Amino acid sequence: MRKLTRRQQQASAALSLIALLFISLDFAGTSLAGAHRGATGALGSLYRGTDSVIGPVRRFIQGVPDVADNRSRIAALEQQNNDLRRQLAAAQADRATAARLGQLQLQSTAGGWSVMPARVIATGPGAGFERTLTVDVGRREHVLVGQTVTDGFALVGRVVSVYATTSVILLVSDPSSGVGVRDVRSGELLLAKGAGSQPPLALPLSDNATTGIDVKVGDHLVTGPAGQTTFVAGIEFGVVTKVSKSLGGVTSATVKPAAGQSSGDLLGIVLVTPRDSPRAAVKPDNN
Amino acid sequence: MTASRTAAAIAGVLTVLLLQATLIGPLTFPVPVSLPALVVVVVGIYAGPGIGLGLGFATGLLADLGSDHPAGVLALGWMLGGLFAGIVGGLATERGCRTRAVALLAAGLATLVSLGVGLLFAMLGSHAASAASTVRYLIPIALVDAVLGLVVVPPVRMLLRNQGIRTPRSTATVSRTVSVKPMAGGYAPR
Repeated sequence: MRKLTRRQQQASAALSLIALLFISLDFAGTSLAGAHRGATGALGSLYRGTDSVIGPVRRFIQGVPDVADNRSRIAALEQQNNDLRRQLAAAQADRATAARLGQLQLQSTAGGWSVMPARVIATGPGAGFERTLTVDVGRREHVLVGQTVTDGFALVGRVVSVYATTSVILLVSDPSSGVGVRDVRSGELLLAKGAGSQPPLALPLSDNATTGIDVKVGDHLVTGPAGQTTFVAGIEFGVVTKVSKSLGGVTSATVKPAAGQSSGDLLGIVLVTPRDSPRAAVKPDNN
Repeated sequence: MTASRTAAAIAGVLTVLLLQATLIGPLTFPVPVSLPALVVVVVGIYAGPGIGLGLGFATGLLADLGSDHPAGVLALGWMLGGLFAGIVGGLATERGCRTRAVALLAAGLATLVSLGVGLLFAMLGSHAASAASTVRYLIPIALVDAVLGLVVVPPVRMLLRNQGIRTPRSTATVSRTVSVKPMAGGYAPR
């Protein structure tokens, strides 16, 4: 134990009195407000400066106990994020499907056909053809070979093979495909032949036809009653983008197909072509 | 007090207050651990009651004025802590206690200082303190003070042993008068 000297005893008594005086002054009024402001301002600046250096260290230390908890939280949030992304993608696909179904419904109503929605499950060569699609409907859904396939607006192709639950569709862009089309403006009948990756060509029905055909750039072509196979008539095929004449004098038209060959995964197969009542014949007016 | 000791004391006080405000206080919240009180006590143990009370008063008054509670509370509390540490610390230094023992003693004294200051704040009606919360946090304060003491004691001891900031030792001058008595035969004294 150390003993206090007389000076230390006096100093401690004096400082205690001063401290009590400070407490009394500050507690009773605002005598020390200026001193408080000055010290607070000076120390505040020092605190801010120091905190810019020590703050990161402090935050690191404060975060250490939460590391494991944060890791599990991050994993949970990532899982939640993935779920939400999946739901968003599914919702977008649902919206696209709903829109396509709406188009098919409209086309079915307008044409008076039964349209079977069919989802594309495979693409590529198939059934001996170069450009085909495989869809998820088949014999069980009463799909038959030769039926017309649309995307809800334009012609996509025709059914060439039917299995129990799947069908193979030959696209109109396949080189072996030929579609009988009619120029909406002039009524000219043409044969649209697929050209692979190139746009289809619309040719006169007869190969030796050297007379000109009435086709202009911008004309709309729709499926017509002629061709190697029977398509439902009146479905949009495409727009003429170029008219040219060969050395042999045969006129041909380059057609931009209306249906995107790779767009959409939902198609419609026109199951039947109704003709409930025979078309009334035009009779001479006797009046 | 030499200029170097004054400068060292000011630097030490500011460093401790800044560390309390930016590191110790936020990290130990809501336990009201006080690094300055602990440092004052450790200085008091090693340097004696005179320096302990002076350092405690100065540090406490600066901390008081830099906050919104009545000035003088921390000054009084830390001054008494430094004074008491200086008185009882003589035993520890005389017996050559090691760091752990001094840290334990300092933690006990600093906890008592925190208790006293907390009760004084509660008596004065400070918004941040109550007697119940002061007593409730007493054991956590003691534990954290003990851990902090292990960190604080070695540098404070080293700083106080530094010749440049140490109190100059008083030196005694011994003067001896040698009377020379000529001897027969011409021998001179050695």
